[in-house]
Amino acid sequence: MRASFHGELDELEAALQEEGALVLRVLRTALNALARGDGELADEVIGFDDEIDRRYLRIEQGVQSLLARQTPVAGDLRLVLAVLRINLHLERMADYCVTVAKLTQLMGGLGVSGDAILSSLEDMGQRCEQMIRVALDAFAGRDAEKARSLNDLDELIDRANRRAIEDVLSLGDSPEEREYGLRMLVISRCVERIGDHAVDIGEQVAYLVTGELLELTDASHPARA
Amino acid sequence: MSTVRAQPVVRVAPPQAPVARETVFSVDGLSVFYGGTPALRDVSLDLHANAITALIGPSGCGKSTFLRCLNRMNDLVPGARVEGRLLYHGIDLYGPDVDPIEVRRRIGMVFQRPNPFPKSIYDNVAFGLRILGMKDDLDGRVEQALRRAAIWDEVKHRLGRSALGLSGGQQQRLCIARAIAVEPDVILLDEPASALDPISTQAIEDLMQELRRDYTLVIVTHNMQQAARVAEMTAFFSLEVGADGSRHGILVEYDSTERIFTQPADERTEGYVTGRFG
Repeated sequence: MRASFHGELDELEAALQEEGALVLRVLRTALNALARGDGELADEVIGFDDEIDRRYLRIEQGVQSLLARQTPVAGDLRLVLAVLRINLHLERMADYCVTVAKLTQLMGGLGVSGDAILSSLEDMGQRCEQMIRVALDAFAGRDAEKARSLNDLDELIDRANRRAIEDVLSLGDSPEEREYGLRMLVISRCVERIGDHAVDIGEQVAYLVTGELLELTDASHPARA
Repeated sequence: MSTVRAQPVVRVAPPQAPVARETVFSVDGLSVFYGGTPALRDVSLDLHANAITALIGPSGCGKSTFLRCLNRMNDLVPGARVEGRLLYHGIDLYGPDVDPIEVRRRIGMVFQRPNPFPKSIYDNVAFGLRILGMKDDLDGRVEQALRRAAIWDEVKHRLGRSALGLSGGQQQRLCIARAIAVEPDVILLDEPASALDPISTQAIEDLMQELRRDYTLVIVTHNMQQAARVAEMTAFFSLEVGADGSRHGILVEYDSTERIFTQPADERTEGYVTGRFG
């Protein structure tokens, strides 16, 4: 048994799950800040991101060290590569949360309230939370079937993102409403991208389990009906 | 949640075995017994021309026994018996009309420890040539063999000196030159670098890549990374416990080296290459 190597690999995987749990917390905080227009809560999101970046770098260094010292092969190699890539996807999710938080802070002074769009963004956000949980569970359980289900969940978010345009267009024509609407479109896009990264994590789970590299969604192909 | 299963839109197929080339050895149901006790059971595989095939597996799994079957070296072990079919270019290697000496000329072997004769460097290479009557242009044949074994530049000024004065890595390359000199078709290598330092090991591995252009190589190695580095195909052997408690070797999996080291099909292979046993 390569006890120390496999111990280190287990620790890396546990660290990745912790990072995932933190991303879920950041996303929930960002969504709450957005819903309440709470600038202080948005500050918390930005503070969280430094912690996620630290964890991201620690995992990145751990993977580099394992590759350099242990020459993992077969299932171990796939696990190390999956950890490396999933780590990046989680870090990107947190970056999108930071963008949402910063935009939330900018909108406080506009005096516009868009209840319909806020409600659909909360809905999208909840779907994203569900997707991240499914992705992390699929990874922990080495469940390729569950990982593939992420594609269907993502389709719902993509549709909601397309509806956000209609919500924005119905806001009104004042400069404040137009600025509010544009910022909301960016937020909607950020949430939609978080869902995409959850699908990407699912692809890594499928790769880990089956050894097949695959792309579950592809921007160059039209979405399925 | 939708129950519709998402189909991937872009997929990269996992690595496949390389396109089959000329078959040099065709092995079918090969078993080896030492004094009635099975050492290796029911091995079937084809070995291809101008490829390096690595045989890996734990101690006692029969990989060296299998290697020695390929040039009938097991004939020299008292009580050894081989069952099954082993075709070499379509000819039954264990057929009644086959001369084992001629077999070993065509299918050369290099051992774990360099074993030069206590003779000059020149005579080590010329030895087999003289025995086989390949005496025309002896100097040219010796030089050619030493060049192919990537040791000519190091020994050309001291061909008359004892081979025992060479370093371990040089001695091993000399042994490869000795095997090459008699113009074989296949070179079998039984852990050729396990007694060598990393630099000499690198030289042997580089040499193997050169040699595969002209020869078919089969290497037994305990060093899995060496197999991963040099071999195109890899066969994983393991131990099986029989109904009577006896242990014998079996072939578990045979595939492209890339496949064996990224996505082996058998969990026993996975367990061995990753070091996660049972």
